[in-house]
Amino acid sequence: MTGSLVILQPGHCVVTDLGRTKGPAFGLPVNGALDQFSAKAANILAGNLDNDPLLEITALDFRMRAVTDLLIAVTGAPLDLTVGGRECPQWEPVSVRAGETVAIRRIRTGLRAYIAVHGSFDVPTLLGSCAPDTVVGFGLKLVEGSEIATQKTTAPITQPHFGLPLFRLGFAAPDFSTHQVIEVTDGPDVEEFGSTAELLFTSTYTVSPRSNHIGLRLGGALPERQTTAEVLSRGVPVGAIEIPSRDELLLLLRGRGVTAGYPVLAVATTRSLDLLGQARPGHTINFCRTTVAEATATHRAACMELERLRTRVNTVFSLLGIGTSAGWRELPAAAGI
Amino acid sequence: MSAPTLEIFEAGDAALRAVATSSDVEANWTAVHSLAAWLRTAAVEGIYGAVPTYDSVLVEFDPYVTSARQVRAFVQLGMRQLEYAGTALRRPRRFDVPVVYGGDCGPDLERVAEHQGLEVADVIARHTEKTYIIRCLGAPAGSPMMDGPDFPLPVPRLKDPRLSVPAGAVSVAGRQAVIAPAVAPGGWCVIGQTPLTVLDASREPLVPYVPGDELRFHQIPEEDFTRFAGQFLEARP
Repeated sequence: MTGSLVILQPGHCVVTDLGRTKGPAFGLPVNGALDQFSAKAANILAGNLDNDPLLEITALDFRMRAVTDLLIAVTGAPLDLTVGGRECPQWEPVSVRAGETVAIRRIRTGLRAYIAVHGSFDVPTLLGSCAPDTVVGFGLKLVEGSEIATQKTTAPITQPHFGLPLFRLGFAAPDFSTHQVIEVTDGPDVEEFGSTAELLFTSTYTVSPRSNHIGLRLGGALPERQTTAEVLSRGVPVGAIEIPSRDELLLLLRGRGVTAGYPVLAVATTRSLDLLGQARPGHTINFCRTTVAEATATHRAACMELERLRTRVNTVFSLLGIGTSAGWRELPAAAGI
Repeated sequence: MSAPTLEIFEAGDAALRAVATSSDVEANWTAVHSLAAWLRTAAVEGIYGAVPTYDSVLVEFDPYVTSARQVRAFVQLGMRQLEYAGTALRRPRRFDVPVVYGGDCGPDLERVAEHQGLEVADVIARHTEKTYIIRCLGAPAGSPMMDGPDFPLPVPRLKDPRLSVPAGAVSVAGRQAVIAPAVAPGGWCVIGQTPLTVLDASREPLVPYVPGDELRFHQIPEEDFTRFAGQFLEARP
């Protein structure tokens, strides 16, 4: 049976997923959840596939009302979550009865929160993804009163012992902090910066208010390019660190234009990009150098953590009779266009 | 013909950049686009995209499913395959693009003419007399990136990039030319505008051309703008 929810206070909220991986070949940014780890965790806690559509809430308070019974999970930056006025835990599945209001207030330390709903949403896609793209004008606009259809409803799950939390999966949420240590690997053009490249590792950088989903602008000591040759436009990876001006360093996030003509000094690791997706203006960052092999190992360790969570969720949900998705990970679409 | 050598660089734990290093720019371009096409056809699990431009291709992958080392080996395999099999880019299609030059449609036309030491009419003539090859799709949103017209000098970018350039803007910068498929900020010199719609998110494919297709501009009078408005850019039959 399908369900639905109504947005009461949109704040800054979008329906997104893990991104438009087929986009870059067409010159479109990948976009999608900025903190992929939290987004995947929310979907896993809601018994969904990793890449299912979910809500990404940035910075501002948010409220929605369940029109039908729902099962949700909220992850991301620390915040105050209430359902029908009751305080509820983050990083755990939460049962919501029809008519109850889900409120998210005081997102702090980090910047973004994720709400996944069991059964996910039925929303339009472009090149296989529902992630908004501001350039081509794609994506669901959420305003007060917007209704989103969900593909399932979940009857309220009651806890016989009043006052005890319903689920205790005990997943250790990542650390959120106003100071982050970000791991990077040397970029393909690091040599163009000569010895000034080392400045990246000895300076502290502050996130500028001019930052957005396209890139973080970071103030601090700037390495300088030692060459002047014109660079032909070429594909740049998410996480690329460039120095396009004398004022700030630019670290590209998932909304980045796919091609650019600036040399790439360093590239933030996949795991570090999740932390950067939570960086607020005023937060500080130190960079440390790692290798591709170490970065891959770190990323895989985080994925394994999520796999263990999935196993626990599947066990609990099947005992409770909540339908779950197949217990394997939906791989990103193969590269065919 | 033997394919140019590719040099492979790390670009983080989820991408690598392969660069064709021969002195033949056409061969480099063909090599990186053939490699991208080969990677797409191969559809290897974990490799989800190849973005070829002029002399390089960015290969993106999921480091949980595969790894930089595996992808590097696979790209090398692709290069060797192409050395034997040769390149198989498909036959180009041809696009004709009507353009209103100058005025509100091309606010930088006179500046470009002055900088080149050419008459405005010469700038238009040089822009329209060339058959362009679409070299790659770029930012923002499927822009057809082309080698520029035969101007005496590279065209400098604007000192203050515009916050908003309209869809259909026809621009030049350096030794490159482009059409803007969607509204976006831009630092290139806008010399004209086409009334045709290049990109519509509800259509499949998103943009009508692929790298390797050919494109020509022709001048139309301003009063004809509305006649073409709302029509899609389509390949010549």
